[in-house]
Amino acid sequence: MSVQLFFFYTFAVITLGAAAAVVSVRNPVHAALFLVLTFFSTACTWLLADAEFLAVALVLVYVGAVMVLFLFVVMMLDIDIAPLREGFVRALPVGLIVAVIMLVEMLSLIGVRSMEAVQSVDPALAAGMSNTEWLAMTLFSRFLLPFEVAALILTVAIIAAIPLALRPRLGVKSQSVPRQVNVDPRQRLRIVKMRSEAPVRGQSTEAKLGEGLEP
Amino acid sequence: MITLAHYLTFSAVLLCIAVAGIFINRKNVIVLLMALELLLLAVNTNFIAFSRFLGNPDGQVFVFFILAVAAAEAAIGLAILLVLFRNRATINVGEIDSLKG
Amino acid sequence: MPTFNPADLRVIAPELFLVCSTFAILLIDLFLKPTQRHVTHWLALLALVVAGALVWSGAPPMGEVAAAFDGMFLRDGMATLLKLFVLLTIALVFVYSRPYQRDRGLNIGEFYLLLLFAALGMMLLISAGNLVTVFLGLELMALSSFALVALNRDSPLSSEAAIKFFVLGALASGLLLYGMSMLYGATGTLDLAQIRAVSDFTAGSPHRTLLAFGLVFLIVGIAFEFGAAPFHMWLPDVYHGAPTSITLFISSASKLAAFGLAYRLLEGALGGLGADWTFMLALLATLSLAVGNVIAIAQSNLKRMLAYSTISHIGFALLGFVNGTQQGFAAALFYMICYALMSTVAFGIMMVLARVGFEAEEIDDFKGLNQRNPWYAGLMAIAMFSLAGVPPLWGFFAKLMVLKVAIDAGYLWLAIVAIIFAIVGLFYYLRVVKVMYFDAPADDTPLVAPADYPLRWVLSLNGLALLVMGMAWSPLMEWCTRAFAVAG
Repeated sequence: MSVQLFFFYTFAVITLGAAAAVVSVRNPVHAALFLVLTFFSTACTWLLADAEFLAVALVLVYVGAVMVLFLFVVMMLDIDIAPLREGFVRALPVGLIVAVIMLVEMLSLIGVRSMEAVQSVDPALAAGMSNTEWLAMTLFSRFLLPFEVAALILTVAIIAAIPLALRPRLGVKSQSVPRQVNVDPRQRLRIVKMRSEAPVRGQSTEAKLGEGLEP
Repeated sequence: MITLAHYLTFSAVLLCIAVAGIFINRKNVIVLLMALELLLLAVNTNFIAFSRFLGNPDGQVFVFFILAVAAAEAAIGLAILLVLFRNRATINVGEIDSLKG
Repeated sequence: MPTFNPADLRVIAPELFLVCSTFAILLIDLFLKPTQRHVTHWLALLALVVAGALVWSGAPPMGEVAAAFDGMFLRDGMATLLKLFVLLTIALVFVYSRPYQRDRGLNIGEFYLLLLFAALGMMLLISAGNLVTVFLGLELMALSSFALVALNRDSPLSSEAAIKFFVLGALASGLLLYGMSMLYGATGTLDLAQIRAVSDFTAGSPHRTLLAFGLVFLIVGIAFEFGAAPFHMWLPDVYHGAPTSITLFISSASKLAAFGLAYRLLEGALGGLGADWTFMLALLATLSLAVGNVIAIAQSNLKRMLAYSTISHIGFALLGFVNGTQQGFAAALFYMICYALMSTVAFGIMMVLARVGFEAEEIDDFKGLNQRNPWYAGLMAIAMFSLAGVPPLWGFFAKLMVLKVAIDAGYLWLAIVAIIFAIVGLFYYLRVVKVMYFDAPADDTPLVAPADYPLRWVLSLNGLALLVMGMAWSPLMEWCTRAFAVAG
């Protein structure tokens, strides 16, 4: 067993164990954390397949953004977990049977073709480029149209998520910056012209207030 | 050496865990969404493995798009979940049963 | 290394125009007051009309394919025809739903924008020449649809429908992607035409095993998008829970786009596996016909009834696919167009009759409609008869076409099953007609349609078209046949 293969098995076992934990632990926060582990160790297996750019992107996009979003929602919803677990044990055998049957079928089908395919030279290196360069050469030439469409999809996500999740709260006091900036000094301070008055000896208000403070 | 079969087996197992997770967790929508992410991860691994062993960059480019779309999908899914939670105060699919017939 | 070719922009001109106008509408809408929303409405309609004109004027000659961006985007006869009807149905959604959305405070800019983005996704999906464009077009359409269903965010029913739609939709697209990865693995390319050319379809080769394995996953994804049984679970809930305006959209435009998806993947990429997928689709068709027609009888809610009716109509459209030739696809496309325009009438009338606090979605709400508003009762009756396939309406001839091609392909048993279930289906369509004409109304006051003249006129024309097309269906059928013709 080569070193590479040993590492592949290690990462694969961790990924699959974490994935199994994601769908079976009781606490959604724990599930989200296991999902992070799954993504991370999958990224490691992708590295072994020389897909460096995508491995880094997976960690950045998923662990950095998507999982934080998941955790944020889990904590924000403040879910009562117990009733969500009802029926888990009942559904477990069915789920396991389905999974195992599917797995056996798929493995037998896949085995037909691919057992002999041995890892060859890294195609990017063979072309004298880094993986990122190799990917970019394709992405920005032949896949120009899909690239623009992907931008549209991200725009739709913003346009859709804002009206769904944003609730303007009524009756909450907040600052209006434009109004603050545009304010006229005369609206805030009124200068009143008065004739100066001659102080009446011994009866000024200051003196009265002062009396109370003295020990 | 790592062969294509290793990767395909790995992603097949991951797919099965995801499908089983969808079966088992029919009640908890959050974990359901996580299982869907696992499903896409299995697909991505498949594409990367094929791309690597065919020496063809198209598969990796496809993964790039799947990652972008999956992020958008997660954002919309969680927004819908928020709306649902505000309306029903539950994410238990078992209790979400007004639509029947 | 392929480089950017400015001539490609001419091929994607309709989509390019729609993108630019959508973003312009997005910006304009920001500066409008809620009372000025009619500006957005008319601009969105204008954008659709101009996009339609560009689709029509720049169409390549029948039988030829204009490809752009290295085969990512294809413009052929099928794309022209299907895009025109997708744009038409979305324009109908705008016209029919305006008073409905306004009365419920749902007349927000996002409604228009998301529908325009969905239209764009459908156009891309219909023109897709590569697995990547298929996937991105599908997702652009699907993500917009999920959000549209949830847009009525104070309604628990809508958000419940949206989450079911979302979870099952994401599952279906995941499985579709898994199938695509198998296609890629077997052929080493993502281009649909190259997949077809490279594929080695000889029986027993490991190559074919991998393709057939991918095909199963693709069929699951396609069946979900159509709502064919047994992948129909989302359809009744989404129809019921979504606002009627969005139900109208999902039942018409989305189904047309699903046709594009099925055609591109099954015929475009896997034409060589025809023997395998026609049989799988025959099974789906049988199940859809049975499930749709039988369960529809038990429904008391008109939206749910029409959802099960959609499932049965999908079963009929799949009869055309089962044939797997040019005539077969033409008949299926003719059927889908006919179905889309019938369902716009049915849901349009539901929106005309709906008031705030009264959705007009129970069948009992239509009791004695003939006494309250005979014109709309008449239009609804035409729609129901046409959906049931009663001659001489359009729906009858559409059914005739698909039955004919199914028999031509040697699926006589399937045609007989379809006829039996069509007769079963008559029962629930006629029940609506009976309720409208022979039951006493619960409330004698006349029901007046909203004073929105475009709505009244277009809806009436749409209803009468079902009657007229029953007599003059052959030009459209011929157009459908020519759309699938191959040059030379």
